[in-house]
Amino acid sequence: MYRSISLPIIILLCILCGCSVRPESPRAETRLVKDDLGRTVTLPVTIERAVSLAPSITESIFAAGGGDRLVGVTSFCNYPEEAKRIQKVGDTVRPNIEAIVALKPQVVFVSTASQIETFTRQMESEGITVFVSDPKDIEGIFSDIRRFGDLFSTSFVASATLNSLQTRIMDVDAFKYEYRPTVFLQISKEPLFSIGKESFLTEIIYRAGGRSVTGDVTGGYPRLSKETAVSFDPDVIVLSDSEDNREVNEVFRNSRAVKTGRVYRIDADLISRPGPRMVDTLEKLSTYLHGEVEK
Amino acid sequence: MKGQTGKFLILLFALASSLTVAILIGSESISFSRWSDLDRTILFDIRIPRVLLGAGIGAALAVSGAALQALLRNPLAEPYLLGVSNGAALGTMLAIFIAGEVEIIRPVFAFIGAVLATVAVYQMARSKAGMNVERLVLSGVIVTTMLSSIIVLLTSVLDAAKLRSFTFWLLGDLSQASKWGFILVSAAALLGTAALLIQARSLNLLMIGERDAFDFGVEVSRVRALVFGVSAALVGVSVSAGGSVGYVGLIVPHLVRMMVGSDNRNVIPLAAIGGATFVVLADTIARVAIAPRELPVGAITALLGAPLFIYLLRK
Repeated sequence: MYRSISLPIIILLCILCGCSVRPESPRAETRLVKDDLGRTVTLPVTIERAVSLAPSITESIFAAGGGDRLVGVTSFCNYPEEAKRIQKVGDTVRPNIEAIVALKPQVVFVSTASQIETFTRQMESEGITVFVSDPKDIEGIFSDIRRFGDLFSTSFVASATLNSLQTRIMDVDAFKYEYRPTVFLQISKEPLFSIGKESFLTEIIYRAGGRSVTGDVTGGYPRLSKETAVSFDPDVIVLSDSEDNREVNEVFRNSRAVKTGRVYRIDADLISRPGPRMVDTLEKLSTYLHGEVEK
Repeated sequence: MKGQTGKFLILLFALASSLTVAILIGSESISFSRWSDLDRTILFDIRIPRVLLGAGIGAALAVSGAALQALLRNPLAEPYLLGVSNGAALGTMLAIFIAGEVEIIRPVFAFIGAVLATVAVYQMARSKAGMNVERLVLSGVIVTTMLSSIIVLLTSVLDAAKLRSFTFWLLGDLSQASKWGFILVSAAALLGTAALLIQARSLNLLMIGERDAFDFGVEVSRVRALVFGVSAALVGVSVSAGGSVGYVGLIVPHLVRMMVGSDNRNVIPLAAIGGATFVVLADTIARVAIAPRELPVGAITALLGAPLFIYLLRK
């Protein structure tokens, strides 16, 4: 009895819904894109649901105009303001696999390559693509934003953002200075950590018109001997400003930078994320090293 | 020193040499002929406090290991393996968590943690039939792993920036040596060694057995409380200043016993000298192996200690 009535209704509903369904259904056309590990991955032509597993990626996606398509981010993703309201799925090192799967994303953007194989296998068995985005310098960050604009079909937003970022970079690059001050970037006070050869910050400091004194030390974020740190006697000390790194290490008590008052703080979030706000870091560094940048 | 003056002098010489080497070398070379302000800073503010802190920690840990081994009649008794170090580490972490800026309460909390861990292991290991080697080691494993889990849980709850420094500190880290720290540790090491040396005769009798010791007039429970208290204080002060440096309390007393036999009147002072030498050398390796980067000293003592330990077990 019920069946005979409900069947036509279901069919009718299906037809009505069919009318309102947009042409690109989730299983619509896909395309092949190369990620930063050089892997060719399959992505839907327009991404509707994405998860970001790095604060820098979240910032780049928002800058590229795809922020409204983010359904999951890490617990560290605190910028821009809208990112705070997105569902948290753990952090970069320990993502919550179940939470990610439950959000039914089409793609997960990751920055680190650690355990990528296991993670990718787990995601792919759920039909979720894993895309690695790992920019190494400012140009890498820019092409990242351009690529996100392409992937999220918001190229016009990405281009506008890039234009303004590039103008700001050009202002910094055009700035003339007499000398390159030596810079010590203190990542952690105790134990003493700094930046090494493989950190993108070494290049950022150079671009801002300085020279990182630890630029020749191997590794990305080396734990540094205090003897070596004190003998560098840098012109400027920059602190990656976080709760346990507000002050310079005790060994710098009599250093030139402290005596001349050239100790500066840049928010750890700005310094540590290879995203659009790296341009803010560059501008701040340039100002600290050489005074106000001409606008 | 009962007829061991020669060996005593040999160990003292080894300590003096290792201190000299440690002070002479580092990630930066010092020009002793042309003395600059920088050289002075490196030597007096950074290198020497650190070397002396290492010596104090090494002596403290080796002596407490030697005393615990005698008291518990167990060659495997060692602050690190019994969970006493982990108790002190947890205490220090709580102190930093509750009152991060007040450094003076760290050794106090570490001491309390070490005492609680010692008592827990002792109570678990004791049975009506007395205490055997396996039972004690098992209790140590249980307490160690339980405390490790709590430490891991705590570091997960704390924010990432603090977590980074803790992970390094847990593997032993002498880079944070302050003048205050090495004076405290050295004083504790000296006082602790003296206090345990006074009990050396009682410990010798206790090594035969508690009943025999009692028959010889040893106040067993008083000696036990004293040895537990002193070793917990030594471990607590060491851990709060330099993290958990493992294997010192195991390796050094064994090597010393191989040299001079098991008379605690010799073992305790020689363990102090040997422990100081061992940690000073290990930390020198940690400082210069990949200079200007640094390694955690606990990784070096474990790397040197574990093979030595296997060798000792097979002998």
